[in-house]
Amino acid sequence: MRLLIALVLAGVLGAQPLPLGRIPPGRTLLVIEPHHDDHTTDYGMGGLIARFVEEGHRAWYVRASNDEKDGAHGYPHNDMINLRESLEATRILGMEGVHGLNWRNDYMDSIPLNELRAQLILLIRKHRPDAVLGHDPWAHYDRNPDHRKVARALAEAYWMAGLANVHPEHFELGLKPHRVPYLFFKARVDYGKGHEPNVAMELTESQVRKKMKAYSTHRNVYASPAMARAVRAQIEIPEVKGLTDEEAAVRFEEWHMEWISRKRGRENGVRYAEVYFYRDEFDHLPGLKNYITSNTVKQ
Amino acid sequence: MKLRLLLCMAMSLLAQDQKVLVITADASDYVLAAGGTIAGMAASGATVWLVRVTNDDKDSWDLPPEETARRTREESERAARILGIGKVVSLGYRAGELGGVSPTELRDRLMFYVRSFKPGVMFIPNPYAEYVEVLDRYYTGQAAEEARRAASLANFQPPFASVGLETHLTPELYYYAQPFDPRRREAESTATFAPQPKALDIAPMLAKKIQAAQALKTVNHALAMRIQQRLQETGRRLPLLDRVDDDAVGKLVEINVRKLAEIGAQGTGYSAAEEFHYAGVEYQIPAKYR
Repeated sequence: MRLLIALVLAGVLGAQPLPLGRIPPGRTLLVIEPHHDDHTTDYGMGGLIARFVEEGHRAWYVRASNDEKDGAHGYPHNDMINLRESLEATRILGMEGVHGLNWRNDYMDSIPLNELRAQLILLIRKHRPDAVLGHDPWAHYDRNPDHRKVARALAEAYWMAGLANVHPEHFELGLKPHRVPYLFFKARVDYGKGHEPNVAMELTESQVRKKMKAYSTHRNVYASPAMARAVRAQIEIPEVKGLTDEEAAVRFEEWHMEWISRKRGRENGVRYAEVYFYRDEFDHLPGLKNYITSNTVKQ
Repeated sequence: MKLRLLLCMAMSLLAQDQKVLVITADASDYVLAAGGTIAGMAASGATVWLVRVTNDDKDSWDLPPEETARRTREESERAARILGIGKVVSLGYRAGELGGVSPTELRDRLMFYVRSFKPGVMFIPNPYAEYVEVLDRYYTGQAAEEARRAASLANFQPPFASVGLETHLTPELYYYAQPFDPRRREAESTATFAPQPKALDIAPMLAKKIQAAQALKTVNHALAMRIQQRLQETGRRLPLLDRVDDDAVGKLVEINVRKLAEIGAQGTGYSAAEEFHYAGVEYQIPAKYR
């Protein structure tokens, strides 16, 4: 019994709530991800995107791969269906548009890193985002080659876009160097020690609803009627009585999103949340950060 | 007391024979992360070489890459001299482009210097340090770690042996990184073969480290200008950088180095320190086999 109490206490004490983060100042958000549906990674991101937009940011989604492997309709059709669903999901989240880079899905390990990075640098200079959301480049055990590649390209693109000697040809177009000041990195929190969130972003019910809707829009990969049929064959769920398998599948996916947002919220003392590894504007200067923040004055 | 004196004399004699090879991706990283420790070893009589992998051609405010590379090379050599480094080798890879360089090519070029210099100690960027945004440091660290091992094995680059570059195993290895990784103080494992966190006192060498960091004028000026620009764009200013001249940049660098030393010293009892992951003799030969 004592052991049980100790274990429960250790569990409770070990799970310290994260500090609640704020939306950083600015007007533009860029979400840089390998796939059409990565705004759902670890069941997160969609809520924060909706919150950014609701708090005044204009947001764009960069989809690096063509997602041809996602779905059961053959490569070219999957590509087209996933693009359509991606446009719809990002619209639900309030985003302005999608940049498709069209790299071959699940074959990104072998593509030239510097080429992908150059594309991201160009888009960063075009949009001049105040914040970027993306996969955590230092997350461990991510089995997906596209996640690793895009995260690594992003790890350099966000600061190299600020250097005038990097791709100076862009300046012929009137673009200017721009370092992204605020970053939110995302990865599954149950994949090893690599990704330890340092901030919880509180969400409203409306933001969670948008996230649920955006997630279930990706019907080509989620919300499978066969999955719903299999579940319903085993247990009776009154809430989906009378619905088709397709409708039930969408409902299940939406519950999934609601459940994980509530779970992250409960862990961090609020109703709904998503968790991230956040980097502030001067975190890349550990020796100067305190000095700059304590001595800076308004102009 | 006599014993302590004898010990100091013995250590000093050992240091005189010590050869230290420092490998860095760029001009500033090793100075900021390990400059005090390296200066201390050089001051104790060690012979120190530096291999700088990239040419830092991107890191300036308003200079073209060629001029940036030329100036940074000169300044890097000046900084190295201040720390007591005897020889600087610049491999000349373009900065920020190591992701497109063959890791084996880079490893073999570093291995050349391990076999020719035969160091007793190596300092390399820690490729396992997380949230280090300059990935050149990751690629360099990985290649350097491999180079140390490959240098000890005769079947790597057989032509090296034919020109007199015999195998060599470097007994001590310091992995360095600036303190970006929130978990850098955690031991990865208690196993003998895993490098362990280690902090070293650099208080006596702090002034030298500041001076060496200040010698990197081109990259420091660019850093100051980028901070000033970011603040200006967001309606703020840092009084120190109202005029970005040599004095202001020098002061900024001093603040940076002092604070890094303070961060390194947290929880150690030192006033100024540097943090490493260290792999010593234990790393190669566990106590039970020695």
